[in-house]
Amino acid sequence: MATAARQTNPDIFGDLFSKPLTDRLKLLLVYAILIVATVQTIYPLFWMVFGSLKTDADLFNNVWGPPRTMIWQNYVDAWRIADLGARIGNSIIITVLSLSVLLIVSSIAAYALARLQFPGRQAIFLIILATMMIPPEVTVIPLFIVVRTLGILNSRFGLVFVYAGTSMAFSIFLLRGFFMSIPPELEDAALVDGANRLQVFWHVVLPLARPGLATVAIFQGMFFWNEFFLAFIFIRQAELQTIPLGLVNFFYRYSADWTLYFAALSMVTIPVIVLYVAMQRWFIEGLTAGAVKS
Amino acid sequence: MMMTPAIILLIIFVIIPIVYGFYLSFHRWDGFNSPVFIGTRNYIRLIERDDVFLKAVTNTIIFAISVVLVKNVLGLFLALLVNQKIKGVIFFRTALFLPVTLSFVVIGLLWSWIYNPTFGLLNAGLELLGLDSLIRAWLSDQATALGAIITVDIWKWTGFHMVLFLAGLQSIPKDLYEVAIIDGAGAWTRLRRITLPLLAPVTFISVLLSLNGAFVRNFELVLRCTDGGPNHTTEVVLTHLVTQAFRFGKLGYASAMGFALFLVVAVIAFSYIRIGRSGAYNF
Repeated sequence: MATAARQTNPDIFGDLFSKPLTDRLKLLLVYAILIVATVQTIYPLFWMVFGSLKTDADLFNNVWGPPRTMIWQNYVDAWRIADLGARIGNSIIITVLSLSVLLIVSSIAAYALARLQFPGRQAIFLIILATMMIPPEVTVIPLFIVVRTLGILNSRFGLVFVYAGTSMAFSIFLLRGFFMSIPPELEDAALVDGANRLQVFWHVVLPLARPGLATVAIFQGMFFWNEFFLAFIFIRQAELQTIPLGLVNFFYRYSADWTLYFAALSMVTIPVIVLYVAMQRWFIEGLTAGAVKS
Repeated sequence: MMMTPAIILLIIFVIIPIVYGFYLSFHRWDGFNSPVFIGTRNYIRLIERDDVFLKAVTNTIIFAISVVLVKNVLGLFLALLVNQKIKGVIFFRTALFLPVTLSFVVIGLLWSWIYNPTFGLLNAGLELLGLDSLIRAWLSDQATALGAIITVDIWKWTGFHMVLFLAGLQSIPKDLYEVAIIDGAGAWTRLRRITLPLLAPVTFISVLLSLNGAFVRNFELVLRCTDGGPNHTTEVVLTHLVTQAFRFGKLGYASAMGFALFLVVAVIAFSYIRIGRSGAYNF
């Protein structure tokens, strides 16, 4: 691709009419590819929203197109039957609490690993790296026994600690990279002035590491919000269920009410998409910052 | 001192379960009676007498190779396209990343409808194009089920890898390209001599993340789309493990399977990290 050459031609329409034919063709090709890629990425989501507003007959006979008449009642029914209000509340509480515990605990630990010299530092880091490669499906049986022994089975509190604990390694790994990229001279100055390590961490380091914290918050926030397997194992009471659990239950309980499923799916997906589009700079910059630093 | 809360959480929710799971992998245990020590018999059975496990390993490897290759190549290709200063580029970046934000529950349900034989998007599309001969029940046809699932995983994650590569591309100094153009280097030469070498650290991370994900983050997707069927053609190690543990109550056996998987992933990941270290990237 003629990356660098293109960067001097910011205007596509200018390009189309003043450049030699090959360049114009290249630009058209770039747009054609991007449009095809984008359509195959987002059309399924439009299709989901279309399906949520159709009648059953419309869904089966008019697969690709928009609904012929809008059946808003699908949304009302799906909201009530799937009890989405309670599920959304649970998901918000569990995601926010898990993120808070995770961010506080892991940032302090990652800072210690990045800056302080203490025996076993390298060993701890290697153990943390290794545990990242063990999926929850492998340890879930003993984890279940641990959680049951602690008496926090079937509670939001229990799931919060399971989430924070099992995400700790990844978060420490990522934040450590961020802290190491901050020049230590800033902290040395504060230490000379008589601040202790925790004060330095709070007032000097954390504000500088904000992109790193945002990366963890976005990565893990998406993970907690979307997680199904652990929630399925540790939460059995219907009124404590999160959105993914609720959707799966709804799906298995009412067979073949397709338009209602589409409506339920749209209701939980659209807010996520809106949030993501509103904050897409943060999402994309957060992720890229994490990738380059860690 | 500062490490204490993290270490306590790691010990309770990660280390103890791992150690206890390792202990269980040498036992026969149904979850109710006390575990019976049976030495390495679980591991031997895994290799010698479990055809489904071998099938699951093969499928996991096919899955891993396909998704790692396609996600990274496609991700890099799209990153090169959206790294250009053209109109609407922010829109394309945002749209292509969108599936990353959705859960596997949502994506699994959505795609099992797309593949649905009666009202699915895919078959209806093929019909419109006059390709009736290709119409089939994609997820329950043994020939296409695994490929269909691989496609969904690629659909979800390609935007993520695109964004990683985009970050790498934007950190390459522009004057390198200007000098190369003055020296008469063509687009292909610039890609091979400047872009790819300088992108090596990001490529390393991107491949590592997709590799790890391909082995240990495929459970929810397969569960939602096919649950390992038809006839185990989409069985991966994690679905087989969960079936053995929760449907048949073979908790010791499932633990052994988990550690066998971990061993394979650890060997692959650490040798990959070692190669990466000796090459372009340093931790």
